[in-house]
Amino acid sequence: MLETGIRQMRMAMSMALGRRLSTANLARLVEDALATLDEFGEPGADSAALLDGPGADPAAQPELVADSLRRTATRLADRSPFYARRFVAAEINPRRIDTDALRRVPVTCKRDLIRRPAEFRCAGATPHLATRTTGTTGRPAEIWLSRYELELWAGLGALAAVLRDDLRRDDVLQISVSSRATASVHLNAATYRLVGAGCRVLGTVPPDEALDALAEDGATVLLTSPSYLGELVNAAGRRGLGPDDFRLRRIDVSGEVLSPSLAAAARRTFGVAEVKDNFGMTEVIPVTGRLCTAGHLHFDATMGYVEVLDLHTCEPAAPGELGTLAITPYYPYRECMPVYRYDTRDVVRALAPDHLGCEAATAPASGVVLGKADALLRLPSGTIVTPRDLVEAVESLPTCPWPARYAAEVVDGRLRVTLSESAVAGLGHAGTREHLASCGIEADVAVVDDAEAQYLRAVRSDLHETTFVSSPQRLGA
Amino acid sequence: MSLVWPTILVLIVAVTSVLVVSGGALFYLHRVRLERPAIGRFNRRDILLLFGFLVALPLLYVVVPQWLLTGFLIVTFIGSLSIGYRPVLRRTWLWWSIGLLLGSNIWLARTMLGTLAGWDLYWAENSLIVALGAIAVANLYAQGGMRLQHVCWFALFLAFYDAIFTLVWPITNELTERFLGYPLDPSMGMRFGIYNATIGLGDLLIYALFLTTAVKAYGRHVVRAVVAIIVVFGAAAPALAPLLFRQLIDARTDLIVPAQTLFGPVAFAYYRWARRRYGAERTTGQFVASLRGRPAALPDRALIATVG
Repeated sequence: MLETGIRQMRMAMSMALGRRLSTANLARLVEDALATLDEFGEPGADSAALLDGPGADPAAQPELVADSLRRTATRLADRSPFYARRFVAAEINPRRIDTDALRRVPVTCKRDLIRRPAEFRCAGATPHLATRTTGTTGRPAEIWLSRYELELWAGLGALAAVLRDDLRRDDVLQISVSSRATASVHLNAATYRLVGAGCRVLGTVPPDEALDALAEDGATVLLTSPSYLGELVNAAGRRGLGPDDFRLRRIDVSGEVLSPSLAAAARRTFGVAEVKDNFGMTEVIPVTGRLCTAGHLHFDATMGYVEVLDLHTCEPAAPGELGTLAITPYYPYRECMPVYRYDTRDVVRALAPDHLGCEAATAPASGVVLGKADALLRLPSGTIVTPRDLVEAVESLPTCPWPARYAAEVVDGRLRVTLSESAVAGLGHAGTREHLASCGIEADVAVVDDAEAQYLRAVRSDLHETTFVSSPQRLGA
Repeated sequence: MSLVWPTILVLIVAVTSVLVVSGGALFYLHRVRLERPAIGRFNRRDILLLFGFLVALPLLYVVVPQWLLTGFLIVTFIGSLSIGYRPVLRRTWLWWSIGLLLGSNIWLARTMLGTLAGWDLYWAENSLIVALGAIAVANLYAQGGMRLQHVCWFALFLAFYDAIFTLVWPITNELTERFLGYPLDPSMGMRFGIYNATIGLGDLLIYALFLTTAVKAYGRHVVRAVVAIIVVFGAAAPALAPLLFRQLIDARTDLIVPAQTLFGPVAFAYYRWARRRYGAERTTGQFVASLRGRPAALPDRALIATVG
């Protein structure tokens, strides 16, 4: 107990002073946490404070934010060629930066990362693993991570997951995301290794093979994207599989919009109580977001600074307005190829921080992610239709067209939604229009055949990986 | 010198004290839940550390000036009482009570020890502080995950320690002499005529730990056996030992008995027997769940996000 106290103190001191954390110390704390759960069945009373670090105290947050922004900016000015130039150009002294001065720092965009990746690498940090973004917004960005970062995030993730009972020793995780998402795959495998739990990296293989692995080998946690989850639910339905065929206790998804209808179907099919819809993005790791019961997206104030910026002015969005998430991961949680004020282009609604009234009210929050900024549709009436509006409306069609394949555009001042034949089967144009209207979307409907519909909208599950399981036998093999 | 009368006095004081402290600790264990740190449980390394402290502290206590020794004791008792009774009393009441108890003790030790009544008043008040402290610390350890296994190994170590530091290198005797008549003597006791009959806080703590961890491990049906061992080998046998072993009387005719030398091996033997008889010890979580009338269960909590 005394040793554990000293380890906690070491970690807390590093977090409070902004120094590199000892990853070996963190790994031992994970073992201590497991031993604590073995003995008591639950962590002690102040586990929330331990998990949230110095950011748990709202009164301390302004000072924490200012210190962390300064520390991170100072390091970047010294070691990152891109940001050294950027701070000079913006005439900003990184040692005096605060939340007001921060607004003078131009946001960093994905194209900056794609065009000049080498300029983002910090001098002195040793790159260990490159990871590529696997989203659907075009050319991927490549991010280099150091060994320290990977060990740190795995340790922090394992500690939090164990204390929150999200991860148990007897868990088996099935990772059904693109195998090219090396950061996600590596981190999850390392996290499960620290706890002594099982991890199966499967990738986005044909859904039937993923279902076989889930059903036969008894994974307890599934990590995937909403679009691939839709394919799994459809495949399970075709094969008549139900809750009794699986021993899953949780499904985690991120990276795309998860519709309530798909989440409900996944709960029914796999027999899980909840499908967790998390926010995570390769470029801004380790800053992540979690949904509270009130539907707010909460961010860890210790790991990074999250702003909701007006879509046009890049100034802070007023409460209730739409804005894009700009995220600054802090040093020492990010060291190799960090970003500062990274514009994720993920659109959310800004919230008034004093009126959250939820169980996680002390953590900074925004509304749920509504989709990418470039995919917003503005109608002449001023109404903005978001990708979330469309995904939720389409995926709630009685035909269960998961993942939603649609195209939407404004034609002559009216919204037109293009769907596949199978999606509108039994409803026709009129019935589909009525359904969309009942979801708050007044739109004309166009229909294309199913083959063509595959190209209406790209989703993460389009990154299918092939195997030899379902391929025909070759002669002479 | 007739040893009968002092022996009877020690017997009365020792049996009463061990029953009050052990019974109080058991009552506390069933009624009060102490706050735990987020992570951490008692383990073998903590026992070794405790043993290290136990060896080092008496040596320190013998050499430090009296005012510093009293300072150590004040800090120790404030710590144990404030942690142990925080779940029971409101903060204002808690701190006033601690202040009153410790303040009275210092005042009594400085002004009231000229008369027999003054000594009795001092011992009564001092014993109350020591009993409350021992009950609190025993629960801090037992509820913090200390197991019967740890306690019994510790008692076995103490058996050797006590014999060496009483019979070979009489640090215990010297300490007893240093504490007597000063504030916050870490003993429960009473004065009868010229005799001060006392039992040390360390012994009381071990007995309370033995009972609480045994009940935590195997349930209430072990209470009788464990209490019998405590009373016979922890209180009665050490009290009666000077009748048989005159070596326990020092040059100042003080009777100093290494109680753990008698208690430790028996406690350890009981642990080995209980382990064979009842199997593995219950965890603290299982014990707490059994108090609530349900099996231990893990809470359903929220999730940390992962990145795609």
